Amino acid sequence: MADYDYDVLVIGSGPGGYVAAIRAAQLGLKTACAESRETLGGTCLNVGCIPSKALLNASELFHEAKSGALAKHGVKLGNVELDLPTMLADKDKAVTGLTGGIEYLFKKNKIDWLKAHATFKDAHTVEVAGKSVTAKNIIIATGSSVTPLPGVAVDNDKGIVVDSTGALSFKKVPGHLVVIGGGVIGLELGSVWQRLGAKVTVVEFLDQILPGMDGEVRKEAAKLFAKQGFEIKTSTKVTGVSVKGKKATVTVEPAAGGAVETIEADAVLVAIGRRPNTEGLGLDKIGLELNKRGQIETDHEFATKVPGIWAVGDVIPGPMLAHKSEDEGIAVAENIAGLTGLVNHDVIPSVVYTHPEIAGVGLTEEQAKERGEVKIGKFPMLANSRAKAIAETEGFVKIIADAASDKVLGVWIIAAPAGTMIAQAAQAMEFGATSEDIAYTCHAHPTHNEAVKEAAMAVQGKPIHI
Amino acid sequence: MSKTLRPKVLVVGGGPGGYVAAIRAGQLGLETVLVEAERPGGTCLIKGCIPSKAIIHAAGLFEEMTRASSVAGHLGIRLETVPKLDLAATMRWKDGVVDKLTGGVAGLLRRAHVTVLNGWASFADAKSCAVETADGTVKIEPEHVILATGSVPVELPSMPFGGNILSSTEALSLTDLPRTLAVVGAGYIGLELGIAFAKLGVRVALVEVAERILPLYDEALTRPVADWLHKHDVEMHLQAKALGTSARGLDIETALSDRFTIPAEKILVTVGRKPRTEGWGLEKMAIEMEGRFIKIDERCATSTTNVWAIGDVTGEPMLAHRASAQGEMVAEIIAGKRRRFDPAAIPAICFTEPEIVSVGLDAPGEEHVVGQFPFMANGRALSMDAGDVGTFVRTIAEKNSGRIVGIQGVGKHISELAGEFVTLVEMGATLEDLAGIIHAHPTLGEATHESALKALGHAIHV
Repeated sequence: MADYDYDVLVIGSGPGGYVAAIRAAQLGLKTACAESRETLGGTCLNVGCIPSKALLNASELFHEAKSGALAKHGVKLGNVELDLPTMLADKDKAVTGLTGGIEYLFKKNKIDWLKAHATFKDAHTVEVAGKSVTAKNIIIATGSSVTPLPGVAVDNDKGIVVDSTGALSFKKVPGHLVVIGGGVIGLELGSVWQRLGAKVTVVEFLDQILPGMDGEVRKEAAKLFAKQGFEIKTSTKVTGVSVKGKKATVTVEPAAGGAVETIEADAVLVAIGRRPNTEGLGLDKIGLELNKRGQIETDHEFATKVPGIWAVGDVIPGPMLAHKSEDEGIAVAENIAGLTGLVNHDVIPSVVYTHPEIAGVGLTEEQAKERGEVKIGKFPMLANSRAKAIAETEGFVKIIADAASDKVLGVWIIAAPAGTMIAQAAQAMEFGATSEDIAYTCHAHPTHNEAVKEAAMAVQGKPIHI
Repeated sequence: MSKTLRPKVLVVGGGPGGYVAAIRAGQLGLETVLVEAERPGGTCLIKGCIPSKAIIHAAGLFEEMTRASSVAGHLGIRLETVPKLDLAATMRWKDGVVDKLTGGVAGLLRRAHVTVLNGWASFADAKSCAVETADGTVKIEPEHVILATGSVPVELPSMPFGGNILSSTEALSLTDLPRTLAVVGAGYIGLELGIAFAKLGVRVALVEVAERILPLYDEALTRPVADWLHKHDVEMHLQAKALGTSARGLDIETALSDRFTIPAEKILVTVGRKPRTEGWGLEKMAIEMEGRFIKIDERCATSTTNVWAIGDVTGEPMLAHRASAQGEMVAEIIAGKRRRFDPAAIPAICFTEPEIVSVGLDAPGEEHVVGQFPFMANGRALSMDAGDVGTFVRTIAEKNSGRIVGIQGVGKHISELAGEFVTLVEMGATLEDLAGIIHAHPTLGEATHESALKALGHAIHV
């Protein structure tokens, strides 16, 4: 039997990779993780979920203060000024706290951090910083990076045409920010700068924003964003971005073709999606091919076609979400250790941290209807007493259930704390709950969650509070 | 001349138990009369849950802004001047919320074709009721009676409500903020209001007979709240008794029999609530009691046929959502459905700082395994300035089966986790089940997930 340096080597330390490494180490496997970034945690912790949420939280509070919205609650403020350097420093502090935390967890679990890029030499050997490292099992968790827009050059240092990383650190609030792509990332970061005073224009190629979400949710969200002052141009294609001095000019035309138009901007955020990171891995050395979308295919145990090589997270098919990667990370480590690790890809919640938040799990109404007859229950946050007590009455809860069995197929929520609320919906679905199960669960008063119960009652045709 | 109504259902009391029962009965096509002396909505909507949450929210905003002005650029917000509180505006806001919600309930009752009688009900026997309304006396001889009379604040004999001695009702309608406030009773009502007033700049002192605050919850859950109180200079007198008032404030006696006066312009007494069993003829209805409460079975039936009782008048926990769930059920039973009140758990929330949520069993024994996960290690909490030391989610499960029997948490902004906690307990989830449920990242609920992993011996983030 060959002698390896490690039982498990993980390439990439994002939420998929670092979780896989910790779980593998917990299971008694000798584990290493290759990460070339200065800090652990991947996109999510360093330049994704965490810093953006810190900015979203602070900018929301600033906006509430600046807009005078607090006066109606009796809180009278004098002049409100933005201290952007402090806001950005607070964000950096949240990031450092968490990435440092992962480093501590690595030490605690005796995981070796190989601080360099890893390239395959063969199926059990990678080259890291000029040295060969061998492992019985190798997990590819290299994640994804921003999809470039042809003809548009991103320069985060210059801060005019940026991707999501650059939009986390603008030195000053841009006067006019054009966001290319009306998906989650564009809308979240657009929200941050809009609240801090920027005029924000979102350009989306499709006919609606938030692709992949429930149709009704997409429509309502567009209405809410427009009310907040976003200019949303759907069915519009960006054909080019040119930079002159400190200004950018975005050239757009209707997606179906037509008259060209230009938009002047102080900053442009390119957020049209993300693509799997496979370049430079040397996959050809191990004979691992990519699918048409550039992803690595795995079986349900997260094993690739090459024995000993596994893959999880953004680099394999499925939604590019940190929590999907984490659960795959746990599952793959358990499978390598001889346990049974499974992930139910039908119940993966997703959250958009705008204001209000938008969250969903399971099927959209459109997807559900393709599969059969459905019953739908909706309850507006306007009729929820907790929402009313804190002036957060926008949005609704929508539950989609199978018409015959009443089994819940999908739940969609627009509400200030939708991200927190979606957990109970995911749980109910994981247990195969019917809408009646949810309706008969005693929900605490006064909470936003009561709206979930009422929406379930609406499926049955009888909510109380509407 | 008085008229007599003979509806299928008479509901007495328009709180969250009564109005929900009436709406549900109306929805099911039952001819229903609701009697309420005030506006519909009850304690909860008019002088409890809702107005307190509106004021707690305003107080939270005020405190956050006060921090922004004292700590240069807190969260990147710079204020030129110290924020000022316009209490009248806060109260207007609160009143507006209450008006909208009570108006909404009135509309819902109308739409469900419920006849609402505004007046005081008084029973001559279990099925004969007279209501004094502005238009004269109305007699009601219903087939079914649902008693939902709720509860009232308990008064201390030495300190009756009135003047500077406030119940929660008056505290929620102050026109001026006192400079000093003594709160007698550090249960959840006293703490929610005491903390809100402390945030608004009032000097607050708490007096509690037990040896710690929130005596119904365990030490670990209440510690972060006690820490907050310490940090914000809220005086705490534990194992102390309120004796009465004097010109300067509240006289108390400590555990060591020291007596002194706490300076207090106002004194808020929140020593509990008692069922409203007097003044409406309960004694003439020949209904069996259980201590102070009306005795009910699992269908909320009393000892008298077709007389039902729901909510606070039937016992603990005195929570609006228990009352509503019972009300909904009784209406369905009267309509012929087979139902019983058997929730696996009834969630409880303290809207303190930080918030506490408790569902199911909270005192683990030998036969249980416990997993606890700190919010310090939760990304969402850190991104919201909510990763305070000592805050956590704790899951309690049976050792041999792994079945989750209780979940508690303490932390900022965690009240909405109640939905997830109760769903897990209600579905009979095991630790493995919870471990296998994908939680969205970054959310506070990931702490719930990790607490299960912890109980299984393999948490990731600690």
